[in-house]
Amino acid sequence: MMSFLADYIYYIGAFGLILIGLYIILVKHNLIKVIVGLGILDTGVNLFLISVGYITKGTAPIFSKPGIDSEHMIDPVPQALVLTAIVIGVAVLALALSLAIRLYQHYGTLNLRKIREQRW
Amino acid sequence: MVDPVLLIAVPLGLAFAIPLFALFWKDAAKYIPPAALGFNLVVSLLLFPKILEKPVIVFIGGWQPPFCINLVAGPVGVLFSTIIALVGLLVSIYALDYIKEGATERYHILYLLLLTGATGVVLTGDIFNLFVFFEVLCISSYALVAHLRDKAGIESAVKYLIQGAVGSSLLLIGIGLLYGQFGTLNMADIAEKITSASPISLFVPMVLLITGLGVEAAIFPLNAWLPDAHSSAPSSISAILSGIAIEVGLYAVVRVIFTIFGASSILLFLALLAILTLLVGEMCAFSQNNIKRMLAYSSIGQIGLILFALAIGTSYGVTGGLFQLLSHTLAKVLLFLAAGYMIHRAGSMDISALEGIGAKMPFTSLAFAVGAFSLVGLPPFIGFPSKFLIVRAALATKETVLIVLIGLALVGTVIEGAYFFRVVQALYFKGEKQNPGRKEAPIVALLPMFILVLPIVVVGIYPKLVTGVLNSAATEFLNRLEYIRNVLG
Repeated sequence: MMSFLADYIYYIGAFGLILIGLYIILVKHNLIKVIVGLGILDTGVNLFLISVGYITKGTAPIFSKPGIDSEHMIDPVPQALVLTAIVIGVAVLALALSLAIRLYQHYGTLNLRKIREQRW
Repeated sequence: MVDPVLLIAVPLGLAFAIPLFALFWKDAAKYIPPAALGFNLVVSLLLFPKILEKPVIVFIGGWQPPFCINLVAGPVGVLFSTIIALVGLLVSIYALDYIKEGATERYHILYLLLLTGATGVVLTGDIFNLFVFFEVLCISSYALVAHLRDKAGIESAVKYLIQGAVGSSLLLIGIGLLYGQFGTLNMADIAEKITSASPISLFVPMVLLITGLGVEAAIFPLNAWLPDAHSSAPSSISAILSGIAIEVGLYAVVRVIFTIFGASSILLFLALLAILTLLVGEMCAFSQNNIKRMLAYSSIGQIGLILFALAIGTSYGVTGGLFQLLSHTLAKVLLFLAAGYMIHRAGSMDISALEGIGAKMPFTSLAFAVGAFSLVGLPPFIGFPSKFLIVRAALATKETVLIVLIGLALVGTVIEGAYFFRVVQALYFKGEKQNPGRKEAPIVALLPMFILVLPIVVVGIYPKLVTGVLNSAATEFLNRLEYIRNVLG
C-alpha cells in the first residue's frame, strides 16, 4: 500500500486537483469561484504533465559532469510543455477576471444562476 | 521556393507590430490585417501546385522529426489555410468600415491573432503545437466576442470562456496521456507507434481529445456556448467564428480520429452524434426570431452535416464533407456580412424589423438571398453539389444505418429551407416600403460580399474546379500510412 502511494502520489494528487477543479466549475454559482476552479483544474493538469516525465531523485538533463548517466535524467519535454501551459493558463485567467469585472458592472452580481438573458 | 512558415510568422509578427505602426499612423491598425491576409492568400495559392505532388514538411530548428516541431503543408493544410486567408481577407476589408466603436486597435490585433491561430492549427504536425495554436485561436475569440462590451457580449464571452477553458484542459490531459504512453508529441510518430498499443489504453486519451476539441467544433452536446457567442459578437466576428473557428475545431477532431488514432470503429457513433447535432441545430434555428441567433443555430446544423459526411469514412464521404465545409464557410460568412449591415440599418436583430428591406438595400439583400439559397442547397449555387455529393456518398455505402441517417439529414435540410425562405420572403415581399433612413451598405462592405458571391455561383455551376483539390485532401485524411511516411521519411 505504502509503495503504491509512493509510486503514484503525484498522479493521485494531479487527478485529485483536476476533479476538485471540475467539481467547483460545475457546482459553484459565483463566477469568481468558478474562475478559482479553472485555476485549480489548470494546476492539476500541469502537475500531471510534470509527473509524466518525473523520476524520483533524478537530475537535470545536462551532460555537465562526467559521472551522470542518462538513466536518472528527468524528461525535459513535459517541463517545457508545462511552462507553455502555465502561460496560457495565466492568459485565460486574466481574461476571465477582466470579463468578471465587466459582468459585475452590467448586472451588479456575479451569481451565474441569476445572469440568464441569453437562452436557447 | 515559398516557405509555409511564412503563413504563420508574417501575420503573427504583424499582429504584434500593429501598436507600433499605430504610433505613427492612426489608421495603420485597420489596414494591416488585409495586407497580412492578402500575403497569406498569395503564399497559399503559390504553394498549391507543389503540395499536390508532394506535401512540404518544414522542420523547425533544423532537427529531424520526431524531435522537432514540424509543419505539414499537405493538401488539407494548404486547402484550409487558403480558405482562412481568403475569408479573413474579405472580412477584414468589410471591417474597414464596419468596426468603428470601441477599442478598434485591439480588435484588429485580436482578429489577426485569431486567424494566425487557425492557420497554425491546420498546418502543424505536432500535437502540443496544435494545442498552443488552438489556445491562440480560442483566447482571441473569447476577447472578440466581448468586443462591444455590452451585456449580451460579456455574458456570452464568460460562458464561452468557461466551456472553452475546460475543453482545453481536457485536451491537455489527453496530450499528456499520449506523451506518457509514446514519449513523443509528433502526430505522425504517435500514429506510427499507436498500432502496437492496446486499445483500452488508447480509449481514454481519444475520448479526452475528442471532447476537448469538440467544444470548439460545437458538436452536440458540447455546443451550448455557440448560439450566444455567435449572436452577441460583432457581425464580422460572427462570420469568422461561424466560417473559420468551428471548422478548424472540426478539422482538429477529424485529424485526431483519422490520422492519429486511425479509429474507424468510432465513426458510426460520430455519425449519430452528427445527425443529432444537425437536427437540434436546425430545429432551434427554426424557432428563432433573432436573425443572428438563427444563423448561429444554422451553423450548428451545418457542422452536423459536415461531421456526418466526414464520419461516413469513405473517399466520397470525406470529399463531400470537405466540399460542404467549403460551401458552408463561403455561404455563412456571406450571410453574416449581409446581416451585419441590415441589422445596422434596421437597428434591430428581429426578423420582423427587416421586413421590406429588399427594396432599400437591394445588393445586400441579394447577397443574403444567394447565401441562404446556397446553404439550403439549391442549384446553381455551391451548396447543391456539396449536399448532392454527401447524399450520393451515404447511398453508395449501402449501409442501412447511414441511409436512414442521411434521410434524417434531408429532413433537417427541409427545415433549413423553411426558415431561410421565411427570412428571404420577409426581406422582399413583406412590410411597407418606406423607411427613409435605410440606405445601401457602403462599397467597402459590398465588395467582399460580391467577391464571396462569385465562387458560390461559379463553383456551383462548375464543381470540377475544386473537386480535384478536395479529393487529394480527402486522400490525405484517409491514407494515414502515406502521411506517416511523408513526415518521418
